[in-house]
Amino acid sequence: MGNDTYLASDAKLPYCRGCGHALVVRQLSHALEALGLPPRSVVLTTDIGCVGLADSLFPYLHTVHTTHGRSTAMATGMALAEAVLPATGLKPIVMIGDGGAMIGLLHLVHAAQLNVDVTVLVHNNFMFGMTGGQHSAFTPLNWITATTPEGNCITPLDLLALLRTAHAGFLARQFATDSNLDAAIADAIAFPGFSLVEILEVCTGYGAFKNKATGSALREVASRQGYSIGRVEAEPQRPAFDTLYRHEMESRPARRSPPQVPELAVKGDLANPLHIVIAGTAGERVQSSAAFLCRAAMSVGLYSTQKNDNPVTQGTGFSLSEICLSPQQIEYTGMEGVDVAIVVSREGWDELRANGTVAKFTPKTLVLLDAELEMTLPTGRVLRQPFRREATPKRAALAAIAFWLGMEPAVPSSAWDAVVASLPVERREDVSMALRVGKGLAIQGGASVS
Amino acid sequence: MVAEGALAAGCRFFAGYPITPASEIYEVMMRELVAQGGLALSAPDEISSLCYCVGASLRGLKAMTATSGPGWALMVETVQYALMAETPVVIALVQRLGPSTGGATQGAQGDIFLAEFCTSGGYTIPVFAPSNAAECYELTQQAFNWSERLRSPVVLLSDKEVGMTTEVVEEAALARPSPVERTQVDAKASFAAYDIERPEKIPAFAPVGGGVKVTVTGSAHDRRGRLRKVSPEVVGCLLHLQRKIEAHAAEMAFVRPDLDPDASCLLLSYGITARAARAAVSELHKEGFPISFLQIQTLFPVPAEALHWASAGIRTVFVAEENLGGQYRTVLAPLLTGKRLLGINKIGGMITPDEIACAIRGAGV
Repeated sequence: MGNDTYLASDAKLPYCRGCGHALVVRQLSHALEALGLPPRSVVLTTDIGCVGLADSLFPYLHTVHTTHGRSTAMATGMALAEAVLPATGLKPIVMIGDGGAMIGLLHLVHAAQLNVDVTVLVHNNFMFGMTGGQHSAFTPLNWITATTPEGNCITPLDLLALLRTAHAGFLARQFATDSNLDAAIADAIAFPGFSLVEILEVCTGYGAFKNKATGSALREVASRQGYSIGRVEAEPQRPAFDTLYRHEMESRPARRSPPQVPELAVKGDLANPLHIVIAGTAGERVQSSAAFLCRAAMSVGLYSTQKNDNPVTQGTGFSLSEICLSPQQIEYTGMEGVDVAIVVSREGWDELRANGTVAKFTPKTLVLLDAELEMTLPTGRVLRQPFRREATPKRAALAAIAFWLGMEPAVPSSAWDAVVASLPVERREDVSMALRVGKGLAIQGGASVS
Repeated sequence: MVAEGALAAGCRFFAGYPITPASEIYEVMMRELVAQGGLALSAPDEISSLCYCVGASLRGLKAMTATSGPGWALMVETVQYALMAETPVVIALVQRLGPSTGGATQGAQGDIFLAEFCTSGGYTIPVFAPSNAAECYELTQQAFNWSERLRSPVVLLSDKEVGMTTEVVEEAALARPSPVERTQVDAKASFAAYDIERPEKIPAFAPVGGGVKVTVTGSAHDRRGRLRKVSPEVVGCLLHLQRKIEAHAAEMAFVRPDLDPDASCLLLSYGITARAARAAVSELHKEGFPISFLQIQTLFPVPAEALHWASAGIRTVFVAEENLGGQYRTVLAPLLTGKRLLGINKIGGMITPDEIACAIRGAGV
């Protein structure tokens, strides 16, 4: 395979005289040549900055030039796709600067964590070159840049140390002038998982002169910052993402299909839409009980909508469901009026008052209150029943729904039975018990309408 | 139903990040797409979500993410990248009350400008707006189909009230448009990533990793994808991005009309408010009030022809939407010159049928 397959032999490198980018480009080409990878099995993904000029130098590779810092994320997407495509062995290589590594740090961390088969070449010249020599998160202490004219006073990041904690599989640091850089790059590309080579170099345009950053000075900087050179400790044993994903999919048990809503011949007895609100306490199955009512209504050909509400913390405070049941398709899904309010806890009641629902009550509104609640209603037909005591707090909402339907059979009891039968076996008894309690209270007659 | 629509359209890649009210789509895709042999994945932020989708799409997979306004704001740079790089991707944007983090569990239609006018240069991003679960299913499929066909990002714009309301859907009545696949390039040596014979023509696609060398860029480029400063060829490539959308505007103009030949006024609406509007129109018709109604499902490109015939001979046009200032009304205004254009607007809660009917009755039509 000739050199033309990678870096064009007559390529005019567009970098400043002495810039490390030129060395990296050549060493990358050597590495690809050593690996003998077919050019179409490599995608070079370049970031913004002078590194982004590399695309056109490799005329036979796939190339993707991206937005600033996002080259790693786009290459990760390409690598992720490998998990569900017929295996192609595509090798995404990212060329990014220290500026891109800073703004895209989370992408590097996640790519390392996922262990996608992506190789990242970080061209660390300690500053933003293309935009005029501004300092970056990697600028050494005391360095003079366009934005630290008195010298940088912020301790630079150690990228490899950061990625070590993200479980990166392959990490190395080299100088652009290292004669073995091509071998390090080849090892990184060959590694089946996330690999990153941080390449230390000098921006001759903005970094060299003011900081006297010659080759030996760069070694002093690396030493002062505790940067080890060569392969550094990583976690090479983890499987690459596509391998892991394929394995997970093969070993995952077949999923149980969700219960289907039965379709009954009998139809719901409802002439006009009914608006129902169910209010209780988080964790007491208010919303799942409301869903049960909707499923039962659906089984007898009624239309339904359900909206739920709860505080930001979902495990405490109120829990509400607003339901509309209708013989026709429902257009407007809000509640302009309330036909039935089922209130099974104080927290639920307080929220109904706070959110304005109680203000919508009319003398016709049927209000089913748990017997433990002591409050005076402004209006409405009120019925008090010991739902919580008789059915337990977690079954109170469902018992109250059953109680109501015992009085007003919009949804016939055969619908309840059919929906219970459609539930997973382990849930049936629990639901049946709540329904039995509710029906029992309805048959007893309980308290009269006040 | 957005997730179901995505699966029906052939979506094979999903990357998401939790955000109310779009998290249900994320959760269903993590469950169902994975079960169907696709890849659904949690990203560490919304920028990553969309970048992952773009990367996967470059390899030929149909890809989607779902978010709300705050996440969309982070995605905008990548949306523009997908537009420039002619990469198909679908973004389900479930609106909530803004600004900023606003009200996560409160609906709104306040992201019309944010969704459409997020590009530098004023390019048209197709935006579909479902009003109910069945339309979520249908329009998600259309979003995929048009994204693939046009090689463009497409937005499916719903809101909390559409996205988080559970409702009955008649399965037999669901629309099932045939899935569209992007046109693949013939393997030929002279393939140019952005080759266009005519400005409106959509270039054939070659996947990264395939046998044909691909050059992709978000920078101003020539037909071969090479970064270039402005030249007639580069400007031609930029114009092409808009022409290809405009050329198909009529084909993707989805509306649901309810026109009255005796109407003296026209009510326009979209998304969740279209449902209240339909209920209001039904009430007004019962009163003998002559009014036409047009539900707009394709917000962008603006369905100009439908607007033209729906408003023919009508003097007063109402636009009902849940935002301040009438964002979509502002967009429609230049197409309705000479007519009395009135907004019915509200924030903080759904506009009710009664509020719409009252506004129309009180307008002195």
